[in-house]
Amino acid sequence: MAALPRRIIKEAQRLQLEPVPGISAVPDEQNARYFHVIVTGPADSPFEGGLFKLELFLPEDYPMSAPKVRFITKIYHPNIDRLGRICLDILKDKWSPALQIRTVLLSIQALLSAPNPDDPLANDVADLWKANEAEAIRNAREWTQRYAMDTTSM
Amino acid sequence: MEFILDFFRSLFNTMLALLSFGKKTVKNTLNINVKTNDQVLNIELDRSLEIKEVKEIVSEKLGVSTDEIKIIFAGKELTDSTTIAECDLGQMSFLHAIKTKRRTEKPASMPLITVEEEDSVVVPVEDHSSKPLCETLQDLKLVQNDENVETTRKAHFFVYCYFCKKMCRGKLRVRCCKCKECAFTVYQDPRCWDDVLKPSRIRGLCESNEDHPCTENESGNSPFAEFYFKCAEHSLGLENDFAVPLKLVRINEQNVPCLACMDVCETILVFPCEFRHVTCLDCFLQYCRSRLLERQFLAHPDIGFTLQCPTGCPNSFIDEIHHFKLLSPEEYDRYQMYATEEYVLQAGGVLCPRPDCGMGLLVEPECKKVVCQNGCGFVFCRDCLQGYHIGDCIPEMNQIDMNRSCEYTVNPNNAAEARWEDVSTAVTIKVSTKPCPKCRTPTERDGGCMHMVCTRSGCDFEWCWICQTEWTRDCMGAHWFG
Repeated sequence: MAALPRRIIKEAQRLQLEPVPGISAVPDEQNARYFHVIVTGPADSPFEGGLFKLELFLPEDYPMSAPKVRFITKIYHPNIDRLGRICLDILKDKWSPALQIRTVLLSIQALLSAPNPDDPLANDVADLWKANEAEAIRNAREWTQRYAMDTTSM
Repeated sequence: MEFILDFFRSLFNTMLALLSFGKKTVKNTLNINVKTNDQVLNIELDRSLEIKEVKEIVSEKLGVSTDEIKIIFAGKELTDSTTIAECDLGQMSFLHAIKTKRRTEKPASMPLITVEEEDSVVVPVEDHSSKPLCETLQDLKLVQNDENVETTRKAHFFVYCYFCKKMCRGKLRVRCCKCKECAFTVYQDPRCWDDVLKPSRIRGLCESNEDHPCTENESGNSPFAEFYFKCAEHSLGLENDFAVPLKLVRINEQNVPCLACMDVCETILVFPCEFRHVTCLDCFLQYCRSRLLERQFLAHPDIGFTLQCPTGCPNSFIDEIHHFKLLSPEEYDRYQMYATEEYVLQAGGVLCPRPDCGMGLLVEPECKKVVCQNGCGFVFCRDCLQGYHIGDCIPEMNQIDMNRSCEYTVNPNNAAEARWEDVSTAVTIKVSTKPCPKCRTPTERDGGCMHMVCTRSGCDFEWCWICQTEWTRDCMGAHWFG
């Protein structure tokens, strides 16, 4: 096992010392490249009040390639599919080594505030979001209550 | 017994002496070649010597008086008070001693024109001598009108040295672009890299031939300076032992953290983008490796096979490909191989499909039958890359497999692995990949959605794994996830 790059150590330290409001990212005890992430649903969004679990993994050539991030908590969102995969440009072709774990998680939080049904990943969700936004938001709120507020399973 | 002890003691001392010699402890004297109009004097000079004293030594050997001699070094006439230590001289370096009978003649009478910079015509001071270039020269700007960088620091240069086979500290030298002699003084220090790297930007006075001084043209304009670099870490005592400048590598005097590892490193690489993004050399190499393995270098029409700033800034291509020489020799070989393959493909050629061959072949566009000349001799069809055949190409094997109803269900991947060598690789590729509809690069889908982006650098075609045509909104609606 190669030594952990200083950048990863520094990023992990900074995430502990100066946490981003509404986001916690804790490295796994066994694997320092694997982070347990919890993002709180942004206010004034259907995800408000929810605590969403994510997993984040830093691949071998991080920061030259993007971290791999996935929602573990089920979420009703047009840009997140049923397996928790996220449609976000900075996780794909717009990745740059100047970005960090922090900026990635902030972007994910922003995606919760502003779903983008025109660039969907979960098609049925996106269709409903466009056809009947009120109902889609109701669904999202319901899923948030059902899956993201059950504190016993967190 | 005493004798043996003494022997070992002396042996030990010899070893010590050898060791300290190996470390190249700073010797106080330098062996310098002083090149005069017609001969080369080899002189041992103390580092603390002043140019005045050098002139005395030289004048004695030449039999002329000291004020008839000018010492020229790296485009500058050195002042009497300059010390040898101030010049970036190495062992066996060259100084130029010019006999000058007409001390009163001032080159100021020559027309002074600086190219493309009307407002900066410099009138030389009366006394033409100065400190050496390595003392006066300030850090060169990457571009001429670069306001981002304060250039008040002394210049440092890094070069790729073919002799040392690594990145070394470099020394800037100047010679006359006409006669290639170094008895040449510049009218003006270079201020940006273009001044140094592009020809015909800075003029100077050539004094190699006293009777017929070099001129640019018939009207007698001063000749232009030609700048070149030498490695500061080895000395062969050769005048034309050049090194390639790595202009993006700098000393990190502004303490900018590396954008990838966030460490503040001593030597950095500054990308030629608008923001002057900085990486340390380790991260630069990691970036190159990662891009190389993913074949993400781009064949730039003017520069060659190169990379952009890792943050994707526009117009940020590394325009001196010697920076990639910092990779290991094996990695650089791979870089060259990919570059050549890319060149062949862009020129409309094909690569021989035989395993372990891959010879690049440039063939006429209408030619279907390709012979691997100078390679393995394989004769193949340009379209399907199989052995040459008459008539239409046989359709892709996986398409047959998919459409045929089989009595036994066999996992095609398992079946492919269970084949005898040679065949299995080709079959695996066929079974597990589909060609990019645009450039035909075999592409494997190892998960995720059906939206494919061609990984071949420069193609980037977006296509649908199911339709094998360009990715459309309909694909997104109908079968994004299959």
